[in-house]
Amino acid sequence: MAEQPDTGGGETAVDPSHYLCLEGVHKRFGKLQVLRGVNLDVRKGEVVCVLGPSGSGKSTLLRCINLLEPPEQGRILLEGKEITGGNASDSADFVRRRVGMVFQSFNLFPHKCALDNVTMAQRTVLDRSEKEAAKKGRELLERVGLAEKAGEFPERLSGGQQQRVAIARALAMDPQVILFDEVTSALDPELVGDVLDVMKELASEGMTMIVVTHEIGFARDVADRVVFMDGGVIVEEGPPADVLGAPKNERTKKFLGKVLEH
Amino acid sequence: MDFIREYYFDFGVMGDNFGAVFDGFLLTLKLSIISGVLSLVWGLVLAVMRQLPGRPLAPVRWLTIGYIDVFRGVPLLLVLFLVSGFLSAAQAEDVIPRSIGIPEWFGQTAPFWYGVMSLTLTYGAYMAEVYRAGIEAVPRGQTEAARSLGMSHGQAMRFVIVPQAVRKVIPPLLNDFIALMKDTSLVSVIGALEVVQAGFDVQTAEFNGSALVLGALFFLVVTIPLARVVDWLIARQQRRTSRSGGDDGGDVIEVGGGPTPAAGGRAAGA
Repeated sequence: MAEQPDTGGGETAVDPSHYLCLEGVHKRFGKLQVLRGVNLDVRKGEVVCVLGPSGSGKSTLLRCINLLEPPEQGRILLEGKEITGGNASDSADFVRRRVGMVFQSFNLFPHKCALDNVTMAQRTVLDRSEKEAAKKGRELLERVGLAEKAGEFPERLSGGQQQRVAIARALAMDPQVILFDEVTSALDPELVGDVLDVMKELASEGMTMIVVTHEIGFARDVADRVVFMDGGVIVEEGPPADVLGAPKNERTKKFLGKVLEH
Repeated sequence: MDFIREYYFDFGVMGDNFGAVFDGFLLTLKLSIISGVLSLVWGLVLAVMRQLPGRPLAPVRWLTIGYIDVFRGVPLLLVLFLVSGFLSAAQAEDVIPRSIGIPEWFGQTAPFWYGVMSLTLTYGAYMAEVYRAGIEAVPRGQTEAARSLGMSHGQAMRFVIVPQAVRKVIPPLLNDFIALMKDTSLVSVIGALEVVQAGFDVQTAEFNGSALVLGALFFLVVTIPLARVVDWLIARQQRRTSRSGGDDGGDVIEVGGGPTPAAGGRAAGA
């Protein structure tokens, strides 16, 4: 993958072991304190799965990383550059050129066919030609197994197909990191597998991924590290075998006990 | 009974005055179409200005909201008098050039253009509210998806939000167009010889309302099919919404900020 052009003067080379760093990130919605000081270091190429009960702040964490919800306190560094504070719109551009996101509710553009969904931002944001964008779009749709659906509108695609188009749409921007926000939670059970397969393939190709999920199996098989969140902080983290197999924290044990019962 | 029939449905009177009433109706159509198109554009500009992001642009948003409040809140007739009076007075005082103060562009009369300006000022405000309803009905996730792909606010609006919003509000916009078309009759008070004035002239001269009834028929030939188109579009959107579960842009917005055709009719009676 091509290196992003250097955007700031005199920056040192990106340290791959601290590709994305969160330091004491806080976020509040009105009176509700959702994040209470999250610290997280993500290595280039790492797959981090974030687990936790609903309301624990997992989704908010992802949304803070790409500045859809700017944190109030704490710092986020991407490629060693602080993206919190400073010029908000420059920071947002910097992050979103590098960090893609896939949403629980797909959020495909309903007025555009699958291929146009994948080419729109390539053309408007990256100034790619129509031909170039379409070529890349078709390659990506093929990669997620939907080459023959290029001309279909989202309403004619199943949830699983829509979510795979959404992944292709994120990939079209050549992101360095992709955030997955409960991307299989809105899917019928039989459609989950196709989406997870695409994500597994991405992981095996070395994509840096932060995956908020309830799919314990996926976390166990694919994650390099599992992070367990509760009450707006990370309460436990480590290799999947440790966190999922032998959790130390009481809340982690309780959560996993509930999830694995079913 | 005979008197009612003769007063309203004297085909002789209708036939004799068909040309004059029809010419009036053509003027009504021109006024409606030009003002309608300009209102659609102006309303969208206002709606987008109202959604501009960030604190530095707050004054623009306030001014836009103020404009919309004012022009939705005062009668079109009053706007007509203010616009025509101001422009003709301003050119008489040499504040503005004659070609603007007494506009006679494209072979139309000054009252025609005063009418176009007033209708656009007023209906632009109504339609801005309709667009706003449409923009606000586009799910937040659409903006977030666009922004997460790196699009600017403007790009997200232009390529993602506005195209979806416009599709949702075509029926209420058409409703506003019907109301606008009927309100063009008000422009007669500043001297435009549109269809209602043409029919009224005949009624005054011949003590017979048949020419006005003919004018009414001309209106209905346009407004009834338009109303059916609106019904059809709403029904189609509702079918789509129920099929797709209603979460991907098929929502129907029936009530906008503008007047219903009935309210427009009341204004026309002023």
